[in-house]
Amino acid sequence: MKLSNIALSQFRNHTNTECEFGEKTNVFLGNNGEGKTNILESISFLLLTKSFHAKTDADAIQQEKKFFSVHTNVISDTDIQSKIHIYYNKEEKQKEYKINSNTIQKLSSVIGEFPIVIISPEHATITMGSPAERRKFIDITISQSNKMYVENMMEYKKILRQRNKLFEIGNVSLKILEPWNEMLVKYGSKIIAKRIQFFKEIFPIITKSYASLIETTEEPSITYIPQSENIEEHYTVENIAEILRKEIEKKYKDEVRLKNTLVGPHRDDVVFYLNTMNVREFASQGQHKTFLIALKIAEFLYIKEQCNETPVFLLDDVFSELDEIRTQKLLSIVENLGQTFITTTNEKIFGDFFVWNDSQRKFSVKNGSIVNEKVFV
Amino acid sequence: MLYTSESLAQLIEQFSQLPSIGRKTAQRLALHILKMPREEVQKFSEALINVKEKILYCSVCANITESSPCPICSNPQRNRKIICVVEEPSDVLAVEKTHEFKGLYHVLGGALSPLDGIGPEELKVKELLTRIEDSTEEIILAMNPNVEGETTTLYLSRLLKPFNLKISRIARGLPIGSNLEFADEATLARALEGRTIL
Repeated sequence: MKLSNIALSQFRNHTNTECEFGEKTNVFLGNNGEGKTNILESISFLLLTKSFHAKTDADAIQQEKKFFSVHTNVISDTDIQSKIHIYYNKEEKQKEYKINSNTIQKLSSVIGEFPIVIISPEHATITMGSPAERRKFIDITISQSNKMYVENMMEYKKILRQRNKLFEIGNVSLKILEPWNEMLVKYGSKIIAKRIQFFKEIFPIITKSYASLIETTEEPSITYIPQSENIEEHYTVENIAEILRKEIEKKYKDEVRLKNTLVGPHRDDVVFYLNTMNVREFASQGQHKTFLIALKIAEFLYIKEQCNETPVFLLDDVFSELDEIRTQKLLSIVENLGQTFITTTNEKIFGDFFVWNDSQRKFSVKNGSIVNEKVFV
Repeated sequence: MLYTSESLAQLIEQFSQLPSIGRKTAQRLALHILKMPREEVQKFSEALINVKEKILYCSVCANITESSPCPICSNPQRNRKIICVVEEPSDVLAVEKTHEFKGLYHVLGGALSPLDGIGPEELKVKELLTRIEDSTEEIILAMNPNVEGETTTLYLSRLLKPFNLKISRIARGLPIGSNLEFADEATLARALEGRTIL
C-alpha cells in the first residue's frame, strides 16, 4: 500500500499543507518543533483513525481552531485507489471518517484496512516500560491483521468495565457475578488463544529481523507470560476457558476486597530476552533500541504476511541515538520494505548512501509548512 | 436573549431535550409548530398528554398498553406455551412485524448493566419467573447482540434452568439477501460460532 499525497488543514501547526509523496522513502527534515512529526501523526489518523501520541483527538487541532481535517489518496498493492478523509470537530465532538465519500460508522472497522507500523520515541516503553505498553504493542499488531481480535478486545474491555463496576458498587452476590464471569471467560480465552498463536508466528520473524540489524551472537527471544500461569502453549480455547474459570473461583475473595478484576488477559505480560538476559532489566540503551527496531520490523513483516498488503512504515526521530553502522543498516532495510516516512533533524545520516529521486524524496519542514520539496538533485 | 419570544425559546428548549434532536432541528420544529393551525397544535399536545395518562404497563408482560392485560396477553389466539423475552417495548414491535411469532412476550425493561445501575432488581425478572406456568413449554431469549444482552441471556438461562423448560436464544447471523463475501468478519465469525447442526 502507498499514499500518493496528503492534505492537512488546521492540523497542529499546519494551517494548510499539501504534499505529494514518493513511492518509497519520504524524509522530512527540519529543526525541532517545525511540524515534521505532525505529518506522521496525520498519517496515523488517516490509517488508524487515531494519533500515536496525542491523548485526545482535540490535541491535534490547531490552536484557537475548532476542527482539523486530513485527506489522502491510498493505492493498495493490487492497485485499488481509495480516498480517505478524516475530520474532527471538538465543539461538536464529531469525528467523521470517510472512505471514497462513504461515511464509516464504526471506526474500529477501519483498523487493518490500511496497515501501518510506527516507531516513535514514545515506543521505547515497549522494551523499557510497564506490561501495559507491551500489551498495547501486541494488540495493535494482532488487531491490524485480525478483525475478530479487534471485536473481541472491545467486548472484553466492556465486560471488564461492567464487572469492575459490580465490585465497586459492593455487596456483589455470586448469582449476579456469575454471568459476568462467564463472559470474561468466553472472551478472555479467545484473546489469550490468539495471543499464543501470535507469539508462535512472530518469534522466528523477530529472530530474523534482529540478525539483519546487527552482526551479533545475541539471540533474541520472547516469552508470553499469561496472567494465569497454568496456561500452556498447546492449549485450546476450551482448555484456557477452564483454567480461567478455576482462577476466577480462586481469586473471588481478593477481587471483592480489591474491587478489581484480577484474572484475564488484561494482566498479561511479555518478557524479551537476549540470550538469557532480560532486556527490560539489563539491556544497554543500544540493545533496547535495536530490540525495539527489530520488533517493529517484525511487526511490519507479520502484518504484511497476514493482511496480504504492505503496510506503510513511519519512523519518527528514530536515528538520533543510533550509530552510523546501525543507521545505514536500518536505512538499507527500510528502503526495501515498502513506503516509508522518516523524520529527522540531521540530513547527514543519509550521507552519500541515499540517492534522491522521484521515489525517494526529501522535504524541508519549517513552521508548519513544507518549504521546499527537493525531488531530483 | 437570542430569541425575541420567551415561549418560542421554551419550546425550542423542550424539543432539544429529545433524543437525536439538535439545536437547529429543535428550532426548525418549533417554528413549524408556530405555522401550524391551532387545532392541529391542540391535537398534537393532547397526543403528548394522552401517552402519559393512558399508557400503562401490562401487568403480565410489562409491555406498554392502554388496558392491562395488554391485547397480546389477552388474545386467546396466541400460543400461551411460548414466551419470548425482550429488552424493550420496541423489540416487541420488531418481532411482531415478522408475523412469525404467535406466542406471548415478556418485556424486561432493559439489560443487565452495572455501569448504568441496572441489576436484576431493576428488570422485570421476578415477574418473568412468577408467570411461568405448568403449561409453559419454551422461553425464547431475544436480547440485543451486545455484551449486556449476552450477559442477560446467560443470567436468565441459569435462573430458568430449574424450571425444566426448553430455553432457546435467537440466532445471530447474516442479513437476508446479502452475500457471504460482503459480510463483515465479526458477523460472519459469530454466525459460524452459532451454526446449527443439520
